[in-house]
Amino acid sequence: MTATTDHPHPHRHYEETSADDPRVVLDREIGVFEPVPPYPPRTEREAEFYTLGDGEMLLNMGPQHPSTHGVLRVVLKLDGEKVVDLDPVLGYLHRGVEKLCENADYHQAICYLDPLEYVSSLFCEWPGVMAFEKLLDVDVPRRAEYIRVLSGELNRIASHALFLGWMALDLGGLTPILWSFIERDEIVDMLSALTGQRMLFNYFRIGGVNGDLNHEFMSRLGDWMSRATEQIEAGNTLLNENEIFVRRMRGLGTIDSTTALRMVMTGPNLRATGVPFDVRRAHPYSVYPELDFDIPTRDEGDCLARYLLRMDEIRQSLRIIDQCLHQMPDGPIMAKLPRLLRPRPGRAYAGIEGPRGQYAAYVVSDGTDQPFRMRIHDPSFIHLQAVGVMMPGHLIADTMAVMASLDPIMGGVDK
Amino acid sequence: MTVIARGWNRLTLPGKIIFLAVPLLIALTVGLVATIVLLGPWLLDVLANNLPIVRFVIAATVVLLMTVPTAFLIIYMEMKVIALMNLRIGPDRVGPFGSLLSVVHGLKVLMKEDFTPTGADPLVFTWAPVVVYLASVMSLLVIPFAPGLFGQDFNLGLLYFFAVGGLAVVGLLMAGWSSFNKYSLLGGLRSAAQIISYEIPLTLSVVGLILLAGTMSLNQIVLNQAGWFTDWYVFQQPLGALIFFIAATAEANRTPFDLTEADSEIVAGFATEYSGMRFGFFFFAEYVNVFIISALLVTLFFGGWNAPFDWPWPLELHIDPASLGVGLLLVVAFVPLALTLAFAAPFWLASRRIKGWQALVLGFVLANLFIGALLFAWAYLGLDWVAGIVWFLLKTYVFVFTFVWMRGTLPRVRIDQLMGFAWKWLLPASLLNLFVTAAAIIVVRS
Repeated sequence: MTATTDHPHPHRHYEETSADDPRVVLDREIGVFEPVPPYPPRTEREAEFYTLGDGEMLLNMGPQHPSTHGVLRVVLKLDGEKVVDLDPVLGYLHRGVEKLCENADYHQAICYLDPLEYVSSLFCEWPGVMAFEKLLDVDVPRRAEYIRVLSGELNRIASHALFLGWMALDLGGLTPILWSFIERDEIVDMLSALTGQRMLFNYFRIGGVNGDLNHEFMSRLGDWMSRATEQIEAGNTLLNENEIFVRRMRGLGTIDSTTALRMVMTGPNLRATGVPFDVRRAHPYSVYPELDFDIPTRDEGDCLARYLLRMDEIRQSLRIIDQCLHQMPDGPIMAKLPRLLRPRPGRAYAGIEGPRGQYAAYVVSDGTDQPFRMRIHDPSFIHLQAVGVMMPGHLIADTMAVMASLDPIMGGVDK
Repeated sequence: MTVIARGWNRLTLPGKIIFLAVPLLIALTVGLVATIVLLGPWLLDVLANNLPIVRFVIAATVVLLMTVPTAFLIIYMEMKVIALMNLRIGPDRVGPFGSLLSVVHGLKVLMKEDFTPTGADPLVFTWAPVVVYLASVMSLLVIPFAPGLFGQDFNLGLLYFFAVGGLAVVGLLMAGWSSFNKYSLLGGLRSAAQIISYEIPLTLSVVGLILLAGTMSLNQIVLNQAGWFTDWYVFQQPLGALIFFIAATAEANRTPFDLTEADSEIVAGFATEYSGMRFGFFFFAEYVNVFIISALLVTLFFGGWNAPFDWPWPLELHIDPASLGVGLLLVVAFVPLALTLAFAAPFWLASRRIKGWQALVLGFVLANLFIGALLFAWAYLGLDWVAGIVWFLLKTYVFVFTFVWMRGTLPRVRIDQLMGFAWKWLLPASLLNLFVTAAAIIVVRS
């Protein structure tokens, strides 16, 4: 459409398409569409990836593919059914969270951290809040720390329970996802009684938490804890004792501990390779040193190990919740703080152990009431890169299985 | 002219339709009656002289029409059963317990745009669903539903079944190739590889049975299994039945072998680019296939339309209450009670809105209707095919339920595991089955 002066909205016009426009070329020459970027290769890797060998083809998976966990796009290089190489293309969910945080004051920045990961929101708030507290030299009351650990572990179970269902869904099982959603719904209802929201809790505050434990939360928690173990185990037998499921997962997407460490993998994905690294023990924070729990590890480093490890972690989380309830001290839930926070100029880093690995925040303060610079470290981003190492040699069907076993959340990857 | 135009314009749309349709219908009726009166004797003569052809046309029409309610029923059953397994409610809006939802789905696909993607081969693209649908419908022709109730009794019925069933691959390949989509192509190739591989153990698994039965006519195979349920071929051919069950699952693209339309891998496989009624044909064909493999499993291995006990058909009731005594009393007391509970249970389980007593009343009415219909059909009309069709459908839907159950429970296998299973396990096992059966026959008969 051309812009004409007699058009009712002359400022609203579309560019005239030229013959060189890639969209026009695409329409004109049917049969040439390939998921190839519309510019010459910029790096050696790109040139290598987009050069096809004998009998190879490129397959574009996503961002609208039914099982890419959000809006991930993967370009697969296929030889028949076999995946020769793959290239994850990120950025479809980029919202500029870090920049948004830099334009808000310290209290407001917390609510931008929540929607980073819509499955485990509390773990996105936590490192940010902890880094702010370090900048401000705040001592968090012990009761607040216990409540944080309690709600955090609940959120960890919710996240892992959802993972177990997703894993099965990506292998074609329809039922487990709905069974695990029952688990998740119970936890989420409980947390909404505590925090006021079901999904993006926005519960942690600088110096404490937003609200104290209440009756509804405690009664729901007690009701659920009495049958949680049984319920989760019963749901999992559907998959653990399934020959098809186990045979597909065993030996799939294997990664050894050296490679995993070199790729900076953390969390369950690293522990599944046999490295007992857990931020809760390695760099203790909050009240975790006072709590008694194990760090489960497995040596195989394949999808099945990653899957089973998360189930072990659910059991450990239940132990932690039990201890939290028994050791919960009395006292305030917020530190005394001025309304307007102006930390000293400086920098602070805080990392925590989330359900996917190490979540961290790095904040630079210039003495004003807004962070000067804020960086967020998200484990999903790191783990997604490992797909390139794990995948080659497997089949198309395994792409989604491997990806699901790493449990990335695209909101966190694209930030 | 203006008067007519003004009058015409005053009519509403239904009025216009009636105004045009009534004279047309009258003309058609008059024409039809005149044709029958004038040509009737000659037509009857022609029909009587070509009875096999007439029978075939009627059978084909009935079978073609039968697929639609069958597919609707199985789709609804799958939605509801999987929903209950998933601890969901499932369809509950359209019709009682949502039972009309699949009908509404059917109307929806009819009204949707029939889209052909740019770059697709329009001719092949259009005909692929027809080929797939016809391949499944044609298989139904040879299945005996009841004594005397079948489309055609070929003496090579089983062979015909496999030949026509193999035709579906052509349709799937056509769809995959013509869609101009890599996912479709992958789905088409997968289906070709899968169906052709599983055709071999499928066919070999029944060769033992053919040796036992001495015929390939499905009707004769069913007649051979008359008597008590111990006469069913599943007890003589357990391995064959198992292999047939597995291979037939793969043949019908059902979970855990639904690789051709694996939504988490290749979107919708060969049907990715299809929409509207063309997709509807694929969808229908899939569910008709479920019915067909269940029906064939029942026909070959589970006695077809035979009752599981030796029942003299047609039944002639010579009941002397005095001679039966307590036994009759028990039957009279407990059979309706048990049937009432059996009919009430699904209603009670299906919805919380239905109270217990309402379900019981419904169950009581249905149970009595059922008993009445059975007795009426069996004893007074002497229509043994009614009982036959009841047994046949009962057994068939048990297997349909099994397939739905598997869909709700099992994850999908991988393509290499699928092919490995066919060639490394099923093929040797079916050959072993054939060898053992042949040896046993020689030993027994000599």
